[in-house]
Parts: sequence; C-alpha cells; structure tokens
Amino acid sequence: MKISLKVNGKKYTREVETNKNLLHFIREDLGLTGTKEGCGAGECGACTIIMNGKTVNSCLILAVEANGCEIETIEGEAKNGKLSKLQKAFHENHAVQCGFCTPGMILSARALLEKNAKPTVEQIKEAIEGNFCRCTGYQQIIEAVQDASGQLKKKEGLKRA
Amino acid sequence: MLQEFSYLAPTTLKDLYALLKKNAGTAVILAGGTDLLVEMHNNWISPKLLVDIKKIPQLNDMSFDRKNGLSIGATTVCIDLINNSDVKKYYPLLADAAGRIGSHQLRNRATIGGNLCTASPCADMGCSLLALGAEVELASADGIRVIPLKDYFTGPKKTQIKKHEVLQKIIVPFESANAKFGMRKLKRIKGHDIALISVAMARTEKFLRVGVGSCAPTPVVTAPLPANAKPEKVKEAVMKVVSPIDDVRASRDYRLFMTGEFVDSIYAEIFNGGSK
Repeated sequence: MKISLKVNGKKYTREVETNKNLLHFIREDLGLTGTKEGCGAGECGACTIIMNGKTVNSCLILAVEANGCEIETIEGEAKNGKLSKLQKAFHENHAVQCGFCTPGMILSARALLEKNAKPTVEQIKEAIEGNFCRCTGYQQIIEAVQDASGQLKKKEGLKRA
Repeated sequence: MLQEFSYLAPTTLKDLYALLKKNAGTAVILAGGTDLLVEMHNNWISPKLLVDIKKIPQLNDMSFDRKNGLSIGATTVCIDLINNSDVKKYYPLLADAAGRIGSHQLRNRATIGGNLCTASPCADMGCSLLALGAEVELASADGIRVIPLKDYFTGPKKTQIKKHEVLQKIIVPFESANAKFGMRKLKRIKGHDIALISVAMARTEKFLRVGVGSCAPTPVVTAPLPANAKPEKVKEAVMKVVSPIDDVRASRDYRLFMTGEFVDSIYAEIFNGGSK
C-alpha cells in the first residue's frame, strides 16, 4: 500500500507492507534509527514518537495507519546541528547511561513541557510513567527535565555527579 | 514483521457493515490497536483481515444533551474523553477512570470502544460505565440493537457482539449526569499497571450503583440501590456480584478484602461531601 506522511517536517511517500508497524517503517524504510524497539508491546516506551501532536508507541501502530499523519521523532529534536534545550539538559545531568530509553524519554518530556512549562517532580514522574529506564533509576532524568524547565539549582545536579 | 493480513479502512458505516457481513468470522476490527497489535505481536491471534474503523467520522463523535445523555463514539480515545467539557462537567467519573488507563502513550491511542470489545475482566472503563448505567449500541447490516452494558459482557474477553456486528457507540443516560462518585484502582505499582481490583461508585438523587473490575469473570455491577442505602447494604450488594479467583496478581481473599475496604472508603467520601 502507498502511504504519504510527514516526518520531522519532511514529506515521504513510500510503498509499505500492511503488516509492518510504524516503528519498523521509520527505522528500516526511512533509516531513522533513533527511535528504538524495546518490548514491541506498548509497555516500555522506547519507541515513543509524536504523531499529530500526541505521544504514541510506534510499535502499536501499523505504518498504513499513519498515512497522512505528521510525525516527530528524536531526529527532529536538534536543529542545525545544535542540541535542543532538553537534549542539553539530559547530557549535562547525566540522564543518559546506555541511552536506549533516551529518545522516547525526551519526546515524552517534550510533550509535558509543551503543556506545562514548570512541572513539579510529581508531574514529571507521571509524564514519563510510560517510559522505562533500567540504568539511571530515573533521578537524573527527572533532574534533567527540571533543568530544562529552569527549575534546578546547578549545584544540586553537580553534587550527584 | 507481523503475520500477513489484508487491511481495509472503510470511510462510511454502510461500507463497514457490508464488509463485516461479507467477511464475518475472518474480519477483525482495528481501533486503537493497543490490545490487538500486542496480541498479534505475541502470535496469540493471526487475523486474515483487519478492518480499520478510525476513518469513519460518526464513530469518532461525542455528543451530550439532556434527553439522551452522553453518546461516546466507539473510536473516541481516552485523552479526548478526559478533555471533553461535557464529560468533565456531567460525568467526571468517566474522565477519572480513563485517566487511570495505561500511560500517556496508550491513553493517546486506546479507544473506549476497544476497551469494551477487548472485554478483559479488568477493563478500566467497565466498572465506571457500569456504575453509570451505560448502554452499548451494536450495529450491522441487519440493523441496530441497544443493550445494557451489564448484559453485554458474557465472560473473560467474551461479549454479546456477533461476528458481523460492530460496537459503534456507548450511551450514558442523562439520569446519571452529575452523579456523585468515587473510584479506586488497586495496582502493584503506582505507574502504568493493570488493576488487581477496581471499584467505582456513582450516586444520583434516585439511585446508587457500584461497579467492580477484576473481581469476577467480567466487570460486574450491583442492581441500582436506593440513593440513601446504608453502607452495610451497599457492601452486601457488592459481595453478591463479585466472585474473584486466586491468580498471579492477587489472591481471592485479598481481592475480597480490598473490595470491601474500597466500598467503605468511597461510600464515606461520597456521603461526606460528594465527589472528590
């Protein structure tokens, strides 16, 4: 089946098998491998993308269902070779260890900050409950989101490092 | 890759009914896909034909009026129910229940109709819609029938839907609008998890009903009780409809105990000042 969609502002038209999920389409057909596959069953959030303005698990959507949609992936986060504020905050607060959950985490965090510029720690935890991280214990990720929203005293973050 | 299947996405109800009639038994309806694609990923099912119903505008419609109450199109996703102004104003219990489903990613995609069609005993929308006395509209090329939700579930993952039918809307009666309510969902962890039990209570001026999930082969509900029923009577009515089992997530005894605890605490909340 032929589908047309926009990914990170760029229009793509491709022939795709009906039994391919959107995650595999993005990774294999478009070559955008920043989006990861963890569980493949909507539990871990590694495959989180933003589709028509909402975060979704791309493993639970068929590529053909995304026909006509606007999609944002982690590759759209940095602009002109410069890290976004969120990416910078993740980097500086040691919120990345193995890095597998990071693309999904950043997109969930971005969806939160777009709705709520100054989230509380509880709101940050709630926003990333669909994204598993097995390395950091989440603390540094929460601090990174606080930092990106201008709510982290620099010393606090550095003490941990 | 998933197993091979054909994919069709009709854009009118008429085309959908015809497709389902022609392919009864082989066609499987795809709504949000948050249950279906997991089942396919795990090779639990391998449908030959997926019929995507999200391109049919009528199925994504929500409306409210004082005669018919709230009508929720089957493909309405959780987040749209949560943010709907009529739901917030007249049926806040539904927004509360939908907000307890999965994670943000799932609530942005999972549909209310899909939750009822998967018909898991722990269906998150089940107990709240039951407490509000909801009905479901099942349609096919042969016509439309409306049945009470309490009669719709027939067993774990089993419903009254016939092979050529589609659940096209959920109707919540106006008499349940502005009900005082309370809900509890017991989970192993605070985040994204399925319910060990869930309890929803709704009280209007005329009646009080309690819906319970994960405590019987299907979500269950008490008969409508008088609005001023005593707490003992409410608990007695709840215990009559539940029949939990021991399983990997919780024991029968624990489920019964927590159901009783939740009924007491929600009752106290409702009678001491209304919805939270």
